[in-house]
Amino acid sequence: MATTAAPAPINTPAGTSYAPGEATGIWSWLTTVDHKRIGTLYLWTALTFFIVAGIEAFIIRLQLMKPNNQLVSAEMYNQLFTMHGTTMVFLVIMPLSAAFFNYLIPLQIGARDVAFPRLNAFSYWVYLFGGIFMTVPIFFDVAPNGGWFGYAPLTTMQFSGGLNIDFWVIGLQILGVSSLAAAFNFITTIINMRAPGMSLMRMPIFTWMSFVVQFLLILAFPAITIALFFLQFDRFFGTQFYEIAAGADPLLWQHLFWVFGHPEVYILILPAFGLVSEILPTFSKKPLFGYNVMVYSGIMIGFLGFGVWAHHMFAVGMGATADTIFAMATLLIGIPTGVKIFNWVATMWGGNIRFTVAMKFAISLVALFTIGGISGVMHSSPPTDLQQTDTYFIVAHFHYVLFGGSIMGIMGGIYFYYPKIFGRYMSEKLGNWHFWSFFVGMNMTFFPMHYAGMLGMPRRIYTYDIGQGWEQFNLWSTVGALLQGVGLICFVYNFVKSRKRGEVAPNDAWGAGTLEWSIPSPPPDYNFAKIPYVTSRYPLWDIKQPEMTAELTHTAPDAGVIADAHAVPMHEETQYYTAKSLGIPMPFPTIKPLFAALFMVLMMAGLVFIHLDLFWVAIFVMIGSGAAFVGSLYGWLTSPLE
Amino acid sequence: MTRLPYRRLGAAMFIAALTLALAACGGQEYPNSTFIRNTEINTDIIALWDRILFMGTLVFIFVEGLLIYTIFRFRAKPNAPLPKPVHGNVTLEIAWTLLPVLILIPIAVPTVKTIFKTQAPAAADALQVEVYGHQWWWEFRYPQYGVTTANELYLPAGKTVAFTLRTVDVLHSFWTPALAGKRDLISNKTNYMWYTPDAKLAEDAFNGFCTEYCGSSHANMRFRVYTTTPENFESWAAHQKLSAAGSPAALAATASADSAAKKAPARAAIIPTPAPVPVSNVGYIFPESKLKSHNVPHTPIPASLTFDDALLTSADVAAGHALVTNIANLGKAPCLTCHIIKGEGAMLNLSDNGAKGPNLTHVGTRHTFAGGLFPTNAANMARWIKNAQVMKPGATMNTFGIGEYSALIKAKVTAGLTDKEIADIVAYLMSLK
Amino acid sequence: MTVATADTPAGHEGHHEHVHYTSTGLENRKIAIWALIGSECMLFASLISTYLIYKGRSKVGPFPHEWSCKTSNVVGKTAELVAGCAPADVLKPILDIPVTSQSTFVLLMSSLAMVLALAAVENKGHPLPAGAGWWDRCLASSKFWLMATAVMGVAFIGYQSYEFTSFVHEGLTIKTNLFGSSFFTLTGFHGAHVTVGVLWLMSLLWIDRTRGLGPKDELVVDICALYWHFVDVVWIVIFTLVYLIS
Repeated sequence: MATTAAPAPINTPAGTSYAPGEATGIWSWLTTVDHKRIGTLYLWTALTFFIVAGIEAFIIRLQLMKPNNQLVSAEMYNQLFTMHGTTMVFLVIMPLSAAFFNYLIPLQIGARDVAFPRLNAFSYWVYLFGGIFMTVPIFFDVAPNGGWFGYAPLTTMQFSGGLNIDFWVIGLQILGVSSLAAAFNFITTIINMRAPGMSLMRMPIFTWMSFVVQFLLILAFPAITIALFFLQFDRFFGTQFYEIAAGADPLLWQHLFWVFGHPEVYILILPAFGLVSEILPTFSKKPLFGYNVMVYSGIMIGFLGFGVWAHHMFAVGMGATADTIFAMATLLIGIPTGVKIFNWVATMWGGNIRFTVAMKFAISLVALFTIGGISGVMHSSPPTDLQQTDTYFIVAHFHYVLFGGSIMGIMGGIYFYYPKIFGRYMSEKLGNWHFWSFFVGMNMTFFPMHYAGMLGMPRRIYTYDIGQGWEQFNLWSTVGALLQGVGLICFVYNFVKSRKRGEVAPNDAWGAGTLEWSIPSPPPDYNFAKIPYVTSRYPLWDIKQPEMTAELTHTAPDAGVIADAHAVPMHEETQYYTAKSLGIPMPFPTIKPLFAALFMVLMMAGLVFIHLDLFWVAIFVMIGSGAAFVGSLYGWLTSPLE
Repeated sequence: MTRLPYRRLGAAMFIAALTLALAACGGQEYPNSTFIRNTEINTDIIALWDRILFMGTLVFIFVEGLLIYTIFRFRAKPNAPLPKPVHGNVTLEIAWTLLPVLILIPIAVPTVKTIFKTQAPAAADALQVEVYGHQWWWEFRYPQYGVTTANELYLPAGKTVAFTLRTVDVLHSFWTPALAGKRDLISNKTNYMWYTPDAKLAEDAFNGFCTEYCGSSHANMRFRVYTTTPENFESWAAHQKLSAAGSPAALAATASADSAAKKAPARAAIIPTPAPVPVSNVGYIFPESKLKSHNVPHTPIPASLTFDDALLTSADVAAGHALVTNIANLGKAPCLTCHIIKGEGAMLNLSDNGAKGPNLTHVGTRHTFAGGLFPTNAANMARWIKNAQVMKPGATMNTFGIGEYSALIKAKVTAGLTDKEIADIVAYLMSLK
Repeated sequence: MTVATADTPAGHEGHHEHVHYTSTGLENRKIAIWALIGSECMLFASLISTYLIYKGRSKVGPFPHEWSCKTSNVVGKTAELVAGCAPADVLKPILDIPVTSQSTFVLLMSSLAMVLALAAVENKGHPLPAGAGWWDRCLASSKFWLMATAVMGVAFIGYQSYEFTSFVHEGLTIKTNLFGSSFFTLTGFHGAHVTVGVLWLMSLLWIDRTRGLGPKDELVVDICALYWHFVDVVWIVIFTLVYLIS
């Protein structure tokens, strides 16, 4: 409980990326259960995989630069495009979003951590080990090669007898555990751990979008989990789910995959939407326009997202009625998305726009996602889609929404939140180089692909003949990739060096209105010395720029609720203390989640030995790791959190 | 930093415009363009596309224009007053929720109409073509004519063709961009599509591609469509149905080899071939002169695959015929265990459904082979027989060249064919018209 | 203090009835288990959909409700249809509804036992009414009801094992056909969930025997009960769609 004397603040030199009093060193990172550290781990790891997937893309572009090129073999190319897609979706964009979920959600809702801190750490370590498991095979020429979508029966043993698909199936199952565990954590956190006065409709918009994403995760992942189990059982135990000779239906895989796959693309974009919705108001000096509608449209997108999956299957011959139903549903989902675009423009309208790097990235999402959305509407019509599907037109579409949308939005989020995380600003000068290289390079690479696709270039081909009319477009695309590479280098350099050499940042780095900006940069491990209660959705503007929220109704929560939560009126905190001096019990750091993750991954990975004709090794590894997993789980569950 | 860098913005827009301009520039051929109204299906699709593109362009201009205007007009100026903190406006929200509806309805209505029109059952008197996808080549059967061929699809212009689409292994997709949209070939399922090549396409060639990732040589699974006059089509089909018009030399060799075989065990008897057909009558073949440059493959052949081309000019058709069709040579040249050559190898009882490789009855009449990957000529074919995997990654045809490394068995071939034998076989195959 | 609640199912010394402030008034683990149940619904929905999609599409027998012959293509509802078939080649309908009805009943009763176990935990420490007999003591014993639930769960698993081995003897394995693959995978996943539930119950039982479960542990027993009831409901759906509807 509270100490009798006022706790003494700690004096620190400004701009250390560790909050003062925090443990440092590698062991502190291996045993951390602090959501901020875990978010930082996700960030570093995901950015590393971003470089890996970027290199894969670059080699793809070099191979396709000219017709009949022989830079890489067909086999290597097929591994490259599979890994590029799989890595970008599962090891880059989802974990980058997770980095922000982890770091921001407790800060934005006024909590000290997530609901289950050790489960949170477990999610990260499973991601890391799973990501390594899926990536290392490329150095042994057995990387997955069935496409990121792994259509059966190509991925069955009959047609893919090597280890490649085994790594893919098991790897994705592992990553599924990580995502699901994190989703349960965040759902509980957001529902149950908000500061007094923070009703759902007062939550920051990023938290709202993340909330929708968690539901998408828990409801969509089971479908791919089952699809993968079927493929795993077919490959390892001889079941018949996708075996042609037994009468199996390849469309079973496709339906299950896309029931997951379509909500997955909303999982990929909504966090970026949330970040942009935080950045635009801050740098327009205006509140978000239409907060309620932004929340409802996010929910609608999530909900409708479960009803459109078969628009990925317009060429499989489902019949005119099914095609029509899914086409109409797909058109419908364009409406809440369009509404968001308009609300963002309206947010900037009438404002005083500061073009920081973060703002440029946020605006570029609005511009580029619009283009991707328009091409999406073009695919939604089955007759035209029958020309577009499986061509570079689709590649153009999804890179506009995923790169122009998710990546640009996330990059904006990185520049925006870097000062909060590391206590220093990133360099705006390098940031501008980064932004313009990405913006110009991205358009240069992906806009010509619209043409290549409509002029007949299929997807997933390692080469093409001369005279087909595609050379010019491919050349432009490759030049654009070079430019993006330059941007990436600028970004990585900026990211690394600004930790020690960037301009020192205060708690409120940009003049924003939400709770995370009311505490020091970087935040102390306990987040808030005193939990504030909130009376509007912009609690910091309430005290620093009250004219921003004058029009909102401010109702304080009940006095009883405030007392229960030991909350105090909204305030800024600029001093560091120790949790001990404040009487705040902190969770014990523990290595148990890491071990549990490691043994779980080994247990699942052991299956691969069966296909190496080492049956007893597989049994030994699986049972041994399984026992160790249960053991570490037991130790975890029976030791106190704090 | 916080000022809008006009120069950079201008540069970006210029590059974008340049991209567009170059792409739309004339003087470059786009043979696989989906924008050519060669069939009624494509015409319908393009009409729908035009409508959607128009709507999309409107949206693009409106939204991007509004965005650019906003960021220019409301950029921060020094000493500017604080902006009005507007939180929302119900009227605007309703307006821009309904606005997309107004855009989408003109897209939705023709979409539904076109779906049902293009997926209606085909006309009863349509030409039936059965498409079978294989890793990585195309089999085409014309059940009404009793014709089985591979990788080249002859179609009469002006007549509706109804396709039945099946695959014998993994998923593939049948696509000729200049003619129609695509349809997938799904294992354990039959798909249907139809289109009518325009009557004015009396002698045109179109490229086709597999557009569903199907493994190693997905990029190499190509085919050609030749549209011809109905008369030429009938002539082609009538001849394709028969056995090959063998060269007299091959048939003469048959007669002499017969007597030699009588000394060998009875099982080694050559199956008699049907009565010889005059060489000049090989039916209609799409003329090579009408092939455009983009219809002719330019796939490079690895330099490591060498062949003594001089052998090809002095090759012996009869010897090649004996190698391929004589049961005694089945160990060395097991061609007929996977390929059908009509009139040969009846003892092996290979049916269309059992054949693992393309039907070679009239392979000499085809302009390309190996899934549309190489022009049909002796030099290419010789190298293909010598080491197919080197020419086409993942190809399931055995490697026959002695001393060649076979990626299939992961070892060097010891029992195989010499270059001379291959040359003879090639001469025989090229004579199969 | 608004601190994250511990995620230990057994609770731990130090935090007593002091309820942490939460936005809903519920404990974190309660919300998490409902989220888990929602996710598991989708998991079983995918498994059940697959079973239904593949219903009637197996190329070879045995079949769930139909007679068939190994050597001919005859498949039918009645035994007469396979009269011409050699006895060794006859494949009878695999599913045995009377036997499975018994295991279903056992599982349903186990849910009742679980309810009583939770009630016993919540009412622990309340004095028994005067004149209470052995049955009243039984009703009030959380150990008894936790044990009963676990035993019935194990009995259900026992029934499943018996069924599966007899199916294998009759020619249906997970590899045999589409029916075998989808059936065994669906019921196998369900059985795995029951097994996890039984292990969970046994660990609760262990805690009850060592330090005793009381009203302060209501949350952890409630969570286990929710899980157990969910597994039961899934079985009802499976039993209806797989066994009863042909």
